[in-house]
Amino acid sequence: MDILILAVVALPLLTALFLKVASKFLNELLTNFITINAALLSVGVSFLMFGYLFLDKFKPIKFELFEWYPSPQIIFEFYLDGLSGVMMVLISGLSLVIQLFSTSYMSKDEKYTKYFEYFNFFVFSMLLLVLSGNFLVMFFGWELVGLSSYLLISFWYEKNSAAKAGNKAFILNRIGDFGFLIGLMMILNYFETFNFVDIFDSVLIKQPSNLDLIILFLLLGAFGKSAQFPLFSWLPDAMEGPTPASALIHAATMVTAGVFMLVRVSPMLQFSELASLTIIGFGLLTALIAAFAAINQDDIKKVLAYSTISQLGFMFIAIGAGAYVAAIFHLVTHAFFKALLFLGAGAVIHEMHHEQNIHKMGGLRKKMPITAAMMGIGTLAISGIPPLAGFWSKDEILASVFSKGGIYYGFWALSLLAAFMTAFYMGRHWLLIFVKEPKNNLESIHEAPKNMTRPLILLGIFTIFIGFINTPFFHGLEKVLEETLHHVEVTHLPKGLTLAVLAVLSIGAGFTGLALAYLIYIFDIISYFKLKIPFINEIKNLSKNVIFINDVGNIVFVKGLKSVSRRVAVTVDAMTIDGIVNGISKYFLKSSKQLSYTQTGLVRNYVVYFGLFTLILVLIFLISPEVLA
Amino acid sequence: MNRMIEVTSDWYLTLSAILFSIGFLGMMFRKNALIMFMCIELMLNAVNLTFITASKHLGLIDGQIAVFFVLVVAAAEVVVGLAIIVSIFKKQESASVDMLSSAKG
Repeated sequence: MDILILAVVALPLLTALFLKVASKFLNELLTNFITINAALLSVGVSFLMFGYLFLDKFKPIKFELFEWYPSPQIIFEFYLDGLSGVMMVLISGLSLVIQLFSTSYMSKDEKYTKYFEYFNFFVFSMLLLVLSGNFLVMFFGWELVGLSSYLLISFWYEKNSAAKAGNKAFILNRIGDFGFLIGLMMILNYFETFNFVDIFDSVLIKQPSNLDLIILFLLLGAFGKSAQFPLFSWLPDAMEGPTPASALIHAATMVTAGVFMLVRVSPMLQFSELASLTIIGFGLLTALIAAFAAINQDDIKKVLAYSTISQLGFMFIAIGAGAYVAAIFHLVTHAFFKALLFLGAGAVIHEMHHEQNIHKMGGLRKKMPITAAMMGIGTLAISGIPPLAGFWSKDEILASVFSKGGIYYGFWALSLLAAFMTAFYMGRHWLLIFVKEPKNNLESIHEAPKNMTRPLILLGIFTIFIGFINTPFFHGLEKVLEETLHHVEVTHLPKGLTLAVLAVLSIGAGFTGLALAYLIYIFDIISYFKLKIPFINEIKNLSKNVIFINDVGNIVFVKGLKSVSRRVAVTVDAMTIDGIVNGISKYFLKSSKQLSYTQTGLVRNYVVYFGLFTLILVLIFLISPEVLA
Repeated sequence: MNRMIEVTSDWYLTLSAILFSIGFLGMMFRKNALIMFMCIELMLNAVNLTFITASKHLGLIDGQIAVFFVLVVAAAEVVVGLAIIVSIFKKQESASVDMLSSAKG
């Protein structure tokens, strides 16, 4: 049975390799046939494994591929428990749905086969990451998802902006990976193993003195990969990639790798108060900044990108509050509704002939009713309207934060604000695209092809029902993760009336946000009542430019480093080193030039020299004969 | 008894020095390659004279042996030197060496 883990990981890799090797002989139909069938098989095996795991009460399955290094022993191993099981099913399932969508979206692209090659390679990397049995294998997956994400972001590398966005994502991710790598070294140094189970067992008995530092370095990795403040600015730029790839990588799976990793290391994390506070602090900051930024974006995908960052912030809040189940729960529901929103956006972009400005859309609900309805479901879900998926998970996060008490009441209030903003900008997004009276003539627009709407409907259904896997009445996901979080102190939901009040409040925040969006963008309440909001333009500007974080980064890091390095280049390199080298050669050139004047080319002069030196020789001989003796 | 002037080694050495100086001055001030060549010969022979004088004065055969070597070298030098002079003359219709200053620094 355990060899099937290998099959799950290897299947997408083999598909990618096959597509690579045979790409010359494959047309679109053949590519579809191969990749969809492989994905179907992958989903089948994943569900089989998950079913087996379920029947075995989520007892972890280990699979050791080969021993890599004898001492300290490092084994290339896989580990399947409830946590990686959930991720595995999620990844392979979503990749199937999104590949179905892609067959239509990417149709007639020159690099059609290449797209699926990269796509499958990404799925392989992600599965390697989640199914890894030790930190080193996880690091491999971690780096490979970075690589495949880079390949897919700059998929249309002929466009300068796409190539640049790919570089930006890669470089910002490297900052995080650097931290992760240092964390790994410290772990190996202390525990002398990379194996999850061994490390977590030993950490329960005795915590290393530098545990805080280890976790903080791992955290840096998570911040980079999961686009948390201040390393988030690569994610909006990553929208240069094909939309379905964005849906899978930059919304549903890869960006949640940081969340997954932190839940994986939760047995260590629970001992570090500092790390928990850092996580919740940065999570909140990210959630608020990204939500604020999303309010004034014009690009249909950028709104969703900032919304993703904001939702990832929510997951970090949950981890910081110790609500690991809630974090994974939100990860799962978010994966579905965000994939739905992205694919919906993809359908809209496809039908709008690659127009992405939401102000140039409007009234599309009549032209594209299915897409509109499905994106509506996604919007309601992310806003936290019951009984859709987002409500259950977000409410669980908010309630868990609240139940910690103390300073966490403040965190809860800020999270609620972020939730309200989420509803507001998502309402604006949907209303501007589908409801607002269009400015342009959009007569020629019609519903997306069936290959696009079907995945949308499928995801829509999931978005409605996936929330029921873990409600206050049915702790499904909690049971799945029970074995994984066996020795971890998990924050639980408050009971009874408190929970109900909190739920009402969060629903209220969602509805208020949506209603406000309607009032402002459709009813146009501001010009109707001639309201004057102070500093409105400044606030809009701040939101549009994402509180100028890119500019600050540009000035501090790019320009600062550039001027410093230029100065170093001038003073050290050009002046000192080149000066010494050129000076020496110049000195010899000059002196030899002067010496060369003695070479007149006239034989007579040479004779004179000759005679002169003979005379000198004779003189020496006369003065002291013993010199020549 | 006729008072004979005794020709001592000094006389020979003085002659040799005079000959050498003439040759050297000729080298310094003449431009014609052929004349310069003759000056070299003159200097060589001045040296030869010194060798022989020394040989006679000291009663040793070594100096005369050295003279033979010098003669051989001079003969070889004549062959090469004359060939060079002929080619110089062919090139510029004159044997002046001042025109051959392409090696000037």
